Amino acid sequence: MKPKPNTSEEKPSLVPPFVALILSLILPGLGHILARKYRKGLTLLLAFLSAAGLWIWRVTVVARREVGFAAMFTKAIRLEPILILIFVLLVLMYILIALDAYKSAHISKPNSLLLWVTVLVAFFVLGWQIGEIQPAVLIRNGKNSLPLLMRVLWPWEKAVYYPEELLIGSADVVIPCAGVELETPKLEADAPYLTVDPTCGDLSEIGGKEGTRLKVTGGNFSPNTETEIWWVDQVRNEFRYRYGGDYVKVTTDDNGSFQLDVVIPYRVIPTQGEKGYVVWQLEARQVASIGKPVISEELKLSVEKMVETIFLGMMSTFFGVILSIPISFLASRNLMSANWFTKTIYMIIRTILNIVRSIESLVWAVIAIIAVGLGPFAGILALTIHSIAALGKLYSEAIESIDHGPVEAIQATGANWLQTVWYAVIPQIIPPFVSFTIYRWDINVRMSTVIGMVGGGGIGYLLIQWIRLLDYQSAGIAIWFIAITVAILDYVSSEIRERFI
Amino acid sequence: MLEIRNLTKIYDDGTVALRDVSFDIPDGEFLVIIGLSGSGKSTLLRCINRLIDPTEGQIIWNGIDIAKLEGQDLRNVRRKIGMVFQQFNLVKRSSVLMNVMAGRLGYAPTWRSITGRFDEADKQRAINAMKRMGITDQANKRADELSGGQQQRVGIARALMQEPEIILADEPVASLDPVLAHSILQHLESLNKDDGMTILCSLHYLDLVQRYSTSVIGLREGRVVYQGNKQQIMRMTDAEFKTIYGEEAERMGGITGEIAEQDITAAGEEIEL
Repeated sequence: MKPKPNTSEEKPSLVPPFVALILSLILPGLGHILARKYRKGLTLLLAFLSAAGLWIWRVTVVARREVGFAAMFTKAIRLEPILILIFVLLVLMYILIALDAYKSAHISKPNSLLLWVTVLVAFFVLGWQIGEIQPAVLIRNGKNSLPLLMRVLWPWEKAVYYPEELLIGSADVVIPCAGVELETPKLEADAPYLTVDPTCGDLSEIGGKEGTRLKVTGGNFSPNTETEIWWVDQVRNEFRYRYGGDYVKVTTDDNGSFQLDVVIPYRVIPTQGEKGYVVWQLEARQVASIGKPVISEELKLSVEKMVETIFLGMMSTFFGVILSIPISFLASRNLMSANWFTKTIYMIIRTILNIVRSIESLVWAVIAIIAVGLGPFAGILALTIHSIAALGKLYSEAIESIDHGPVEAIQATGANWLQTVWYAVIPQIIPPFVSFTIYRWDINVRMSTVIGMVGGGGIGYLLIQWIRLLDYQSAGIAIWFIAITVAILDYVSSEIRERFI
Repeated sequence: MLEIRNLTKIYDDGTVALRDVSFDIPDGEFLVIIGLSGSGKSTLLRCINRLIDPTEGQIIWNGIDIAKLEGQDLRNVRRKIGMVFQQFNLVKRSSVLMNVMAGRLGYAPTWRSITGRFDEADKQRAINAMKRMGITDQANKRADELSGGQQQRVGIARALMQEPEIILADEPVASLDPVLAHSILQHLESLNKDDGMTILCSLHYLDLVQRYSTSVIGLREGRVVYQGNKQQIMRMTDAEFKTIYGEEAERMGGITGEIAEQDITAAGEEIEL
């Protein structure tokens, strides 16, 4: 006869209900324990103590500058009113535990739904406070992230660029008119040019008369492009021409020419030199795109690093598979239960696999970087180590779950050990092995996109650099490549899996 | 002549599967082992080809004690003993041909068999075995695509590849319907009568036992509680039946003592038609 599962529940309580209630008021849960509801009592005790402890911790965190608990309490509930709700829930929990203890002492299965709901709600509200959850902030400020999000989601402006050239046409202006004839510089036939009429004039006066108005004609510029007008004075000071306070811009026509009136501006510093005149240059400047669009450095880097990432995942899967196959045979119970020696090997290997597997690949990457330095090799090492542990376990479980029948049948034909493994074990473990390998390859490629963040090579390194430089468009390019690769990989691996299984 | 002497098997967990079992099987017998589930039938069969190591006792065949053999000597004996299983025990993902060829592993050199290069004579044997079992058309199918009856034929073809002198059949028809059960047992009968192989077969249904066996052993809790030849099994009394299957057992099917043998033969032929 099997013993009934909860014999303790059927025995009468050690204490009368009223005593259980009092005891539960002294220490929540104690009443239950003495009413022989050990597990429930311990759970409630633990729940109450941890909830109360967490609440006190949050109060001291919120009002850490106050002295004395009363002052802290007042300050804390003023700053974070949610704390008072948690306090109410705690009190409610305390009372409900006591009442439940009273009921438990004379009924075998009291209805404790309200109590458990209170416990859950108390922890939920605590979690809300500890997690500093503020949906209002999200709603109020969430839109701030939109421009950034757009740059990440659509980064392709950064993927190509158009090479540009600065076109300048210049003409000399003599200030003031001194009857000096300047040589007109000879220009190549196609070069941009600028002519002024007249070629001399007077400066504007501050708050007084306007300077000479010059008729400026430009030609051979790139058509339909915005052009800026600059002055360069006798000491090569450059300043952009304004009229009425605004910068003057002109757009060229279809032939790349323009016409414009320019008034000689005022100048505080003295203009007269030894000769009694100075020569300024009037310049028209244009930034024009030339030639075809060019693939940007960011895009090239992303492609290069993505290729590196895919191979990083592939190589680590390859090494992981090669090394984990022999290990998996040593880690499968059915093959290793022959005697105490093999059983010991099985235990040791299983333990090592579990420890190695429970350490994240990122941690292994940091360790590998110390060993072999930054770069993809460290990433391959880290992922290989983690793959061996994970695959070793999965493979050995596949070996453990094979059907023993065929093994028996092949043995019965007089086959030796190697023939038995080859004919009865291997055919059975191929499908799970293929499936686990592809699954791991999938994981490794996805992990290798992240492993670069600690310096283990691959696209993650670029990604984290660009995020730190606030270059969200470039980061967007990297993210797009990762997403595309993972999607393709998903498709390919499911296809392969279908073929094999 | 296969002689079982004082065979005892005690498993690691203390279960006693066989207690001091002794009997002789002359060559060319169709010996059926009957008994309840857990009475030790499977253990007895598996002890004979040493898939299970007996705790004590001797299994003497052609003057050799199989119970003491190790390594290559054991494998050389095993390859002369074919085995057929209740669950067929085919390698499900391999082709029928590969499953049949696997029966030749005991003869083939390790390296050649692993690279799949069997010699012409072996290939011819496989073709003959499949032809005999009527599964030539299925040769390139995967074993798990076949029906239960066809899978068991593959199982027998595999055993035939060993050119065995003895075939051990562990409840070969327990997973099959009655029609298929007869068809499979007729194949075994043919191997027994036409090829002179000794068959050791465990069966559950008394009508099948009476139809096919030439002698019978009854096991109960690891002991031999009944031994009989063809005539005796035909006249099995209720008392004998209860010694084998226990006091609560209710006899169903089969034929009791008084009915003449010719009726049985007729019953068998009816199914053959």
